[in-house]
Amino acid sequence: MQNPSTLSRPLAERIASLPPPPPPAGENPPLPARVIEAAAAALARGETHYTDRPGIPEFRGWVAEHLRQRWGVTVDPSEVTVTCGSTEARYVTLTLLAEPGSAVLCPGDAARIRGALSLLGAEVVYSVRDDVRLLYLTPDVYRETSIELLQRAEADNWWVVYDLSFAATSPPFHPAQNKKLASRVVTIDSLSGRMAGWRLGWMAGSAAALRLRAGKQAITICTTAVSQWAGLELLRTESA
Amino acid sequence: MTLANPKIPESARAVAADGTQLRYALMEMARDMPAVITLGRGDPDLPTPPHIIDAANRAMRAGLTAPTPVPGMPALRAAIAERLRAENGLPVAADNVMVTTGGQEGLFLAVQAIINPGDEVLVPDPRYSSYDDAIKRAGGKMVMVPTARDDAFNLDAAAVEAAISPASKALLIVTPSNPTAGIVTEERLRAIADVCIRHNLIVIVDEIYSKIVFPPWRHFSIGALPSMAERTITLDAFSKAYAMTGWRCGYAAAPADVIGAMARIKAVTTGAVATVSQWAGLAALEGPQDCISEYLDIYIERRAVLLAGLKRMGFAYGEPRGGLFVWADSSSTGIHAAELSYLLLKEAGVLIFPGTAFGEKWRDYVRITMLEPIETLRAAIERMLPVLERYRL
Repeated sequence: MQNPSTLSRPLAERIASLPPPPPPAGENPPLPARVIEAAAAALARGETHYTDRPGIPEFRGWVAEHLRQRWGVTVDPSEVTVTCGSTEARYVTLTLLAEPGSAVLCPGDAARIRGALSLLGAEVVYSVRDDVRLLYLTPDVYRETSIELLQRAEADNWWVVYDLSFAATSPPFHPAQNKKLASRVVTIDSLSGRMAGWRLGWMAGSAAALRLRAGKQAITICTTAVSQWAGLELLRTESA
Repeated sequence: MTLANPKIPESARAVAADGTQLRYALMEMARDMPAVITLGRGDPDLPTPPHIIDAANRAMRAGLTAPTPVPGMPALRAAIAERLRAENGLPVAADNVMVTTGGQEGLFLAVQAIINPGDEVLVPDPRYSSYDDAIKRAGGKMVMVPTARDDAFNLDAAAVEAAISPASKALLIVTPSNPTAGIVTEERLRAIADVCIRHNLIVIVDEIYSKIVFPPWRHFSIGALPSMAERTITLDAFSKAYAMTGWRCGYAAAPADVIGAMARIKAVTTGAVATVSQWAGLAALEGPQDCISEYLDIYIERRAVLLAGLKRMGFAYGEPRGGLFVWADSSSTGIHAAELSYLLLKEAGVLIFPGTAFGEKWRDYVRITMLEPIETLRAAIERMLPVLERYRL
């Protein structure tokens, strides 16, 4: 028998809108030795099974504490879910909080969300429209623009996805500092810039946190255990 | 038959609602309780074999952890293709294969790649309900195909054909089955293949338990049959066979255009699999395979202990032919399976899953795993027996 090249029936129509996968990101700088040792120690003590569905408690605790210390944003560790990179966090968040056919406002670079929204059947828009229900915000957006849009988000009950995963530096403000908005803000971040091949990200906060956790679980169950232990050590090292 | 049981406390009745989330609610409840024996989740308690751990360590220490292409490391894709050719008879090359973040993601990607809104997916009943979400997300509609205990939960071609409509696009097969532990035998798969070819149906076959089949039964891959390669998506993972659930590494084999589509979806949903896990997967395929038979022998011993215990508990069961579970008929207790699972957790400290987590009508069944040592399984049985006697009608 020959190797099959084509399915006997047409593929799903949604495939046509998706670009080919990008080439892999390049090498990251070498990790501190203690990160590798932490990963090796995790393997040695048998951390090779499913972790808790939302991620190891130590990692989730670090994220919650980081949000509190850096921006004064209160998130319970139970509202943090560790994901397979920021890609999974974006996909789960956007597709669970935006509706098919809805408009997602993206004042910055939309390249990272276009594919996920295409799968959902939602539209990316670049200026405010009446049918916007979700704002996808990144720290590179001009601060005054961000503040203006967040005021609109508060007034119109939009969800806000704040994606820090490609921020060059830690931004000075966070949308969830606005207490009236905090329950509708999901923070996304990752270690993609330092350990991209380990596939480690997270989504944190909001009244939808448990729904987001279930959404991640339905796709990949949990995030790679050894990656979580390695990432935790890197975060602890850097914050020390 | 389930009877109204006046002995059941109200707190137990409250959990009787059906639903997938019930499994997770029970797991979270168990996590907060001391000394629970967990016979719920399908997570092998056995260790990942040392040579696989060693390979991951070598890769980490050598800095071989940069991101891979989304469909996976070329060497791993080639090794998977070789394995599938040699052991499963699938006519596949590396470009017919991709690496997935565990078996569950494989199904998600496959469904997204082929199912349009309104398409019907035929699913054996009972089912692993985590798959529901993937089908619903694609806008697909599940159509149940009945299986029965007196047929060892084998899948019947006539039942498949009876469920087909003009909207049918795919048939999902899980063999060995989760939750029933039945297998779809070669004879049945040949008949099912004929049906699929006649109706131009795609087969998505989840073979994640294919290395855990109890003799004299054996696994057979439907994708190896003539004219099936172009209509079959085969899913597998390292999770169960090599006790690697936490590594999140699985794979899919399909026509190249399907793999291309799945890779496009994966790029925007989860990205490539963790590189260290791919090195571990490669070591699993290329290293010694003794662990497969060693682990199978362990499961065979455990199965005997568990089945003997179930007999004492008055539970009936079909012959478990493969996988890591026993799917047991608990109707002799007169207690709804969800209530029963709750009671056994709260009062015996034993976590099992109710049948209703795998299909709404399975209120007289429970799924129990073999994923604890024999002495723990025995202890679980001793804990459950008095609780059953307390509430049995």
